[in-house]
Amino acid sequence: MKKFNFAWEHGVVIFLIAVIGIGSNLSPYFATTDNLSFVLQDIGEIAIIALAMTYLIIAGEIDLSVASSLNLASAALGFAFRNGVPFEISILIGLAVGLVCGVINGFLVTVVGLPSLAVTIGTLALFRGLAYALLGNEPVNELPEDWVNLGFTNIPNTFLPWTIIPIAVLGIVAWVILHHTKIGRWTYAIGTNAQAAKFSGIPVARMKFALFAATGLMSGVAGVVYTLRFASASPDGAVGYELNVIAAVLFGGVSIAGGVGALWGVLASVLSLGAIRSALQLADFSANALLIVSGALLLVSVVVPRAIVILKSRRKSVVAKK
Amino acid sequence: MKQILQRALRVRELPISVFLVLVVLATGSTNHAFFTLSSLQDVLLGVGIIATLAVAQTLVIVMKHIDLSVGSTIGLTAYILGASSSWGHDIWWGLGVSLSVGLIVGALNGFMVAYLKLPSLVVTLATLYIVRGVFNEIAGGDTITEDRVPRAINFLGLNRFYGIPLIFLIAIALMLLVGFVMRRLRAGRDLYAIGSNLQAAELAGIPVARRIFGAFLATGAISGLAGVLLLARFNAADANSGAGLELNVVAACVVGGVAIAGGVGTVYGAVIGAVLLQTITLALGALGVAQFWQLTVNGILLISAISLDRYLSSRVKATTIMGSSK
Repeated sequence: MKKFNFAWEHGVVIFLIAVIGIGSNLSPYFATTDNLSFVLQDIGEIAIIALAMTYLIIAGEIDLSVASSLNLASAALGFAFRNGVPFEISILIGLAVGLVCGVINGFLVTVVGLPSLAVTIGTLALFRGLAYALLGNEPVNELPEDWVNLGFTNIPNTFLPWTIIPIAVLGIVAWVILHHTKIGRWTYAIGTNAQAAKFSGIPVARMKFALFAATGLMSGVAGVVYTLRFASASPDGAVGYELNVIAAVLFGGVSIAGGVGALWGVLASVLSLGAIRSALQLADFSANALLIVSGALLLVSVVVPRAIVILKSRRKSVVAKK
Repeated sequence: MKQILQRALRVRELPISVFLVLVVLATGSTNHAFFTLSSLQDVLLGVGIIATLAVAQTLVIVMKHIDLSVGSTIGLTAYILGASSSWGHDIWWGLGVSLSVGLIVGALNGFMVAYLKLPSLVVTLATLYIVRGVFNEIAGGDTITEDRVPRAINFLGLNRFYGIPLIFLIAIALMLLVGFVMRRLRAGRDLYAIGSNLQAAELAGIPVARRIFGAFLATGAISGLAGVLLLARFNAADANSGAGLELNVVAACVVGGVAIAGGVGTVYGAVIGAVLLQTITLALGALGVAQFWQLTVNGILLISAISLDRYLSSRVKATTIMGSSK
């Protein structure tokens, strides 16, 4: 019989269930469909970007510019629409801008050969600055009502918000690719040992380039969702989201050292962070509690696996001595 | 000739210093007001905080680590200093608590990175959140306004010594002190050894864990005390003070030649990097360029700086998050 291996991701799922249990006890409103639909909307952008960030961190890279890419995509959408471009085309422009942001990061990391942490701190400032340059200080608020309604209404006759559709579709695609295709296995191989991956014929640079581009595109998608959800494109949106995304991915069991992680763990993590946020709000805790909880969870996500390793190695050495 | 040029280019701080001079000259020739004493003072006054934090950050970046928690720490201690009088304490109490807060955060970061061997990016991201959360809990919606800022701190922000803002002088003094430690003392040299090759450093008998812990402790302590500068500079503090500063600080270091990949860079470079970023901000204003281009220019500058560095050194082989695996 196959031995059941308890993985970090199982812990995250148990944690999610516990949060839901506690939340329902704290407030009768927590477990309602209204609140569920609110939580699903609330996590939208973070979830979409986290899908791509999971790949990137598994491959041993990082992208701190995602919130700025999101915002630049949103700004480009708004800018195009303000200048008379039809809304549907404006959305495509937003997506394209997100993709270009990712391509720029990918180029600087894989072709020029720069460390992604430094590069994406640079592009974080660059993309944010460009968003200001595009829109000035005037947000674009007059967006077509039909589209904007998609941002905060539910699919007719269900309690599911429209934003669940991109999350679900992209989530399934990302899951299949990461866990069931060659590209997914390459991603793990690159993160485990980039040199060994290169010697075994994996196009490491091209893969990393593609992952950065995909992360940019996902930021673009998140930018469109964000614009619809807030019915506005402004240059100062989504500030600091990058750290939320990274925190969610890491709590989901992806190792910052690369090579380790699973997509369902990340999704469970995003959901539990959203659920905690809602539970804390409903229980009248201040937003500060959420900061402290996020930080504590992040610490737990690195301390516990490390503690297990230390304990195991101790036990081994004790056995060896006997 | 070529050799001299090549050797000169190896001084890591040189390209950026030249660039700084060029920026100043170019701006000054377009707008003569930029050469005046008061705009120089503006640069120096504005740069003090980032320069101080960049000096502290250099300690950890040369070890191939990073400390993202500094923005939360400096904000918290700025608030505590401002609030100490309304809590019925004097400024010495405030300073003591600020230093303690810095030491506690630094010790937490250092313990987890040095002894539990956890990645500093994750650990300090977590402490960024936790300290900010605790900070917001303490501060709530309260804002420290000018009338609550202790006299001595107010004095620090407003006064100059031979025309040089006191805030900047403090940053320079700290830079010289840390610069000396990193260049001349064994503990400081060890940080470079750890950053360039961790295994070799261990084999060479360097007490790696103790050094890493010490560097994070020092970074925390400096960031804690830097709350004084933040309060002195703005004469105000609230729950958002210092938010987002961490990335500006890392940017200043990187622009100044402190490589994310570890092992190279000096505090002098880090301070020049901070001065350059600040100068450009003001230069854009003097040239009549809208403020929002500042971010764009900073981003381009950072990318150019690391690209140039990459071009000048062929040491780096494969890239990872933190740079190279050699």
